[in-house]
Amino acid sequence: MDALLQILSPSFLLRNSVYTSVLIGIACPLVGVFIVMRRLVFMGVALPQISSTGVAFALSLPLWLGFHLADHGVQAAHTLAFAGSIVFSLAAILLLAFLERRGRGQPEGRLGTAYVVAAAAGILLLAKNPYGEIGWLDMLKGEVIAISNFDLGLTIAMLTLVLMVLLLFQKELIMVSFDREMACILHKNVVFWDALLYILIGLTVSVSVLSVGPLIAFGFLLIPALIAHRFARNMSLLMTWASLIGGVTAFIGFWIAYQYDLPVGPTDVLLLGTTYALIWMAAGILERHEKSSKFTED
Amino acid sequence: MSNIIIKLDKVGIGYAGREVLSGISVSICRFSFTAILGANGSGKTTLLKTILGLLPPVAGRMEAAPSGERLIFGYVPQASRLDPVYLLTGFEVALMGVYGRVRPGRFVPQAERALTRQCLQATGAEEFSHRRFSELSGGQKQRVLIARALATHPDILLLDEPTAGVDHAATQAVMEFISQLHKESKITVLLVTHDLAAAHRYAEQVIWLDDGKVFQGPVDKLLTAEHFNEILTGTMD
Repeated sequence: MDALLQILSPSFLLRNSVYTSVLIGIACPLVGVFIVMRRLVFMGVALPQISSTGVAFALSLPLWLGFHLADHGVQAAHTLAFAGSIVFSLAAILLLAFLERRGRGQPEGRLGTAYVVAAAAGILLLAKNPYGEIGWLDMLKGEVIAISNFDLGLTIAMLTLVLMVLLLFQKELIMVSFDREMACILHKNVVFWDALLYILIGLTVSVSVLSVGPLIAFGFLLIPALIAHRFARNMSLLMTWASLIGGVTAFIGFWIAYQYDLPVGPTDVLLLGTTYALIWMAAGILERHEKSSKFTED
Repeated sequence: MSNIIIKLDKVGIGYAGREVLSGISVSICRFSFTAILGANGSGKTTLLKTILGLLPPVAGRMEAAPSGERLIFGYVPQASRLDPVYLLTGFEVALMGVYGRVRPGRFVPQAERALTRQCLQATGAEEFSHRRFSELSGGQKQRVLIARALATHPDILLLDEPTAGVDHAATQAVMEFISQLHKESKITVLLVTHDLAAAHRYAEQVIWLDDGKVFQGPVDKLLTAEHFNEILTGTMD
C-alpha cells in the first residue's frame, strides 16, 4: 500500500514515468482497435520494431557525421530519436499500406521480413554505437524510468491528437475500414482517410516506442483491443473499454513493478496477457452456460 | 430526355489493365429491372464494379447518366464480403447509407437517422436492426444492406448476388421485396445473379455473359429454350 501512496504522490520522483505509461496505455488501444479490426496485427508487431530501429539510426547519425550528441544536451538526443522514430514509422506504414493496396505478394511475408530486417538493422547499428546501446537496451527491456518532461509533453500531445481525430472522424474511419467499396461509391476520399489513419498509427507507435519501447507499445496496441472485443457492444464502446483497460493496466503494472522492483514493460504486458486469458476463459464459460440454459429451456 | 441511364460503348473490363471481357456495348434504361447473368468467373461482378466506378474501364467509353446529372448508386454487396469482426449493429450498417450527405466531422442529423429507420422498416429489418450485424442470418443481412442502399436516395439499385448463401425462403422474400420496390418506387434495378429462375421471374432485361461474349435483350426473348441452345452451342450473334 505504501508503494501505491508513493506513486500517487505529486512529488513522486518517477511521476513522469507513471503519467506517460498511463497515457500510452490509454492512447495505444485507441488506434490498436483499428489494427485489430483491419487485421493488421502483423503490422502492429513490425511497426514498433521499425520505429525503434529509426531511433537507433537517428542516434547513430551524429557518430557517423563526427559530432558528439552529449555536447548538445539530452533534449537534442530526444528530438533526434523522435525524428528517427517518426520518419521510420511513417515511411514504413505508408510503404506497407501502398504494397497492401497493390495486392501483390504475401502481406504476412512482407511484414515478417520487415520485422526481422528492422531488428537485425537495429542490432548492427548499435554494435558500433555505445551511446545508442544504452538507450536501446533500456528500450528493449521496457524500462519506463528516464521519462523527461519532453517525452511526457509529446505523449500528451499525441493522445490529444488521437482523441480529437477519432472523435471527429470516427464514422469516416470505421466506414472506410468496414466497407471500402461503399465509401468509394459515396465519393469518400478513401486514400485520404487511409493515410490519416496510418499517420495516426505511425505517430502513436513512434511516441510510444520512444517513451516505453517496442514491447509495451505492441502489447498496448493489441491486447486491450482483443480483451474489449470479447464483451464490448459497439465500436465506440470497444474503443472506450480498450482505452480504459490499457490505462488501468498501465497503472497497476507500474505499481506492481515498483513494489517488487521489476521492469515496468514486461510487467505491463504480462498483466495484459493474464487479463486476456482470464476474460477469454470467463467468456467461454459464460457462453457454454448460456448454451446449456437454452438447451434446457428447449 | 434520353431514357438511358448507363451506357457502355465497346468497353473492356478487367483488373490492373488486364482485360476480362472486351467490346461490351450495353445500356441500362431508367426504371428498368435488368439482371446480369453468367457462370462463375464470367465477369458479372467485374462488370458491376466497372459500372459502379470501382474499377476503371480498361478500354472504351462508359457514360453514367448521359443526360448530365450525377447518378447516386445504391449498392448492395454480398454480405459475406463484410468482415464480421466489426462490432456494428444492423442500424449502424444501414446508417452508412446517409454518410454521403453528412460532411466529415459532423454528427449524423436526427432527420437522417429517422430516414434510416424508415428504410429499415421498409425492408422489414427494423426488428433486428439493433442486433449485431455479424450475428444476423444471410437473409436478414441482405435486408439491412438493401436498407442501407435505399438510405442513399439512389437513382439505381445495384445488387451483387443478394441471395448467395441465403436459404430458399429468404431468397424468395428478398427477391419479392426487390421486385415490389422496383414496381412501387419506380427504381432502376441492376441485379447480378446466377439464378436463372429468379432472373426469368423478376427481371425485364437480361445481360448475359458467356465465354467472353455479352448478350443483352428482353427476358422473354433471351431466356428461351431456343436461345439457351444457341448460347450453349455458340451459334448466337
